Amino acid sequence: MRRLFAWWGERALLALVSVIVLFPIAWMFLTAFKRPRDAYSLSLDFEPTLQNFATVFADPWNLGDMVLNSVIVATVTVLIAVPCASLAAYSFSRFRVKGRKFLFFLILSTQFIPAVVIVLPFFLMFRTLGLLDTRVALIVVNLAIVTPFVIWMIKGFIDAIPTDSEEAAMIDGASRLRVIKDIVLPMAAPGILTSSIFCFILTWNEFLFALILTRRDAVTLPVGLVSFRTERGDLWELMSAAGVMITVPIFIMALLIQKHFTRGMTAGAVK
Amino acid sequence: MAEIRLVDIEKKYGNFLAVPKQSLTIVDGEFLVLLGPSGCGKTTTMRMIAGLEDITSGDILIGGDRVNDKPPKDRDIAMVFQNYGLYPHMTVRQNIEYPLKLRGMAKADRAARVQETAEKVELDALLDRRPSELSGGQRQRVALARAIVRKPRIFLMDEPLSNLDAKLRVTMRAELKHLHHELGVTTVYVTHDQMEAMTLASRVAVMREGRIVQLDTPKRIYSEPADLFVAGFIGSPSMNLIEGAIRGGVFTAQGVSLPVTVSDRDDVVLGVRPEDLEIIQRDEAPIQGRLYALELTGDSTLVTLRTGKASVCARGPADFEAEINAPCHFAPKPGVRIHLFDRTSGQRIDGDAAQGTAA
Ligand SMILES: Nc1ncnc2c1ncn2[C@@H]1O[C@H](COP(=O)(O)OP(=O)(O)O)[C@@H](O)[C@H]1O
Ligand SMILES: [Mg+2]
Repeated sequence: MRRLFAWWGERALLALVSVIVLFPIAWMFLTAFKRPRDAYSLSLDFEPTLQNFATVFADPWNLGDMVLNSVIVATVTVLIAVPCASLAAYSFSRFRVKGRKFLFFLILSTQFIPAVVIVLPFFLMFRTLGLLDTRVALIVVNLAIVTPFVIWMIKGFIDAIPTDSEEAAMIDGASRLRVIKDIVLPMAAPGILTSSIFCFILTWNEFLFALILTRRDAVTLPVGLVSFRTERGDLWELMSAAGVMITVPIFIMALLIQKHFTRGMTAGAVK
Repeated sequence: MAEIRLVDIEKKYGNFLAVPKQSLTIVDGEFLVLLGPSGCGKTTTMRMIAGLEDITSGDILIGGDRVNDKPPKDRDIAMVFQNYGLYPHMTVRQNIEYPLKLRGMAKADRAARVQETAEKVELDALLDRRPSELSGGQRQRVALARAIVRKPRIFLMDEPLSNLDAKLRVTMRAELKHLHHELGVTTVYVTHDQMEAMTLASRVAVMREGRIVQLDTPKRIYSEPADLFVAGFIGSPSMNLIEGAIRGGVFTAQGVSLPVTVSDRDDVVLGVRPEDLEIIQRDEAPIQGRLYALELTGDSTLVTLRTGKASVCARGPADFEAEINAPCHFAPKPGVRIHLFDRTSGQRIDGDAAQGTAA
């Protein structure tokens, strides 16, 4: 009897948490398909329309440009950050160099600096370089934010791989780089993929720096959302449609991570 | 094939001295076993030979070349790891093929070699599986195949059989022995299992706390242990060690009096193997006490008697029977070796020990 009670209690609590977490998301998805006049009602009884999506991609909103900016910034950031971070993570994991721990702490400590503290120096720097409102500036900033985190994450995955296989490969005749290519990368692949997606999501959602450093040409999706707050009021249905455009790729990626996250590639290496 | 020479090599981990300065020459074509309890520096020594571990000081020469600064890949060795170190993302075929691929062998030749090697270790039916789909013994054979697929100058094996069950271990032991006979490659083999060491080795190096305490043929390690440590470590059940003194040419301890050919002294430890003792029925026996335990091992019975603080074990016939606590008498079999050690230094006392007297 008590166990049954606990079982239901647990379910009820989970349901409550789910509702709290999912409600805003559900609201956004619904609103994206509503006409302006329905936007403020909570009723589920409305006539769905795709008009909002057409509107946001047309003049004057031009969401397409922002999608392109976001995709380019996030993709290039991942393509640069992940290979560099993988090599750094491998070195931190395997080489017993003096000062290694301190250096690693130093890299991680950059994560403790609040973004608002460094956004102004970045702004001044890019203004001096004439890089304000460019994707390059956003990529540089995102690399600075994301790389330490990805190093830390991938290091965790590499730490978990036993060194036996690597040493075996070195004895079999492989150089260090060859070992990384043939042994470490394939074994760490699920972890590196997970980290890549994480990196992509972080960059994709980055708001503060994009807000301060862009104006017109390099505006990304999260910043683009702000433009739906006009003098004529907040255009919730358009904002929601844009919100869906931001969220859906992230959902898909989260699903991908989940699938790869649980796959143990190291099984069978030892014993 | 090559000779390996370790000259005054030393290994420190920070302040911890894992292997103190020592030298060792491993003769071309021999099967040298490093034997010692866990943590005595066997793996460290082997990893230094492989180049996986820097040496703090000293020199390593393989086939006459100083290899201190050569990476593992340039030392032309093959190694079987304790945990196999297989490549989990590759099939058995790819695992075995990898060393050949790295050395740029043509594809067709590689396939033939892999096939030939796989047949040798009876893996040819499993070539397309992954390591995770194999049993421990099969994985072990993959590791072995990967080591022998190339013809290296040196084999290094770090407790390769320790993860196998007892029966498989005996089979694989015979296979290793046969393989060494067939290939004749200089082999360094690490184990803490004295049985493995005795059966496989051309020579055994018994290690303790990083130091080689005795380097000899299995036969001599067994029949002439250099000190108390080796005496106690080799043999199963281990050698009886009895503390006492020599008085008037007779080793004396409570319940024990054995004539020896060493001049009188105190603080002596007498060693005699259980298989060198026999159970006798006469009262004036050299070793007397009360029966403490009987253990039937199948082909014989281990008979333990107690006298004072000491227990003495003898290997008796399988059908031996007696009451616990009954008086019991042992005597060395005629012509067997009695060992004498200095109690403080542990060293064997020279001037030869006694021969067992026909009691
Ligand atoms: N990487 C290391 N760092 C510090 N100490 C180590 C390291 N590797 C081994 N040791 C120490 O060196 C000693 C010898 O170890 P090892 O050669 O592995 O022993 P064995 O193989 O005989 O069991 C042990 O006391 C062990 O704790
Ligand atoms: Mg070891």
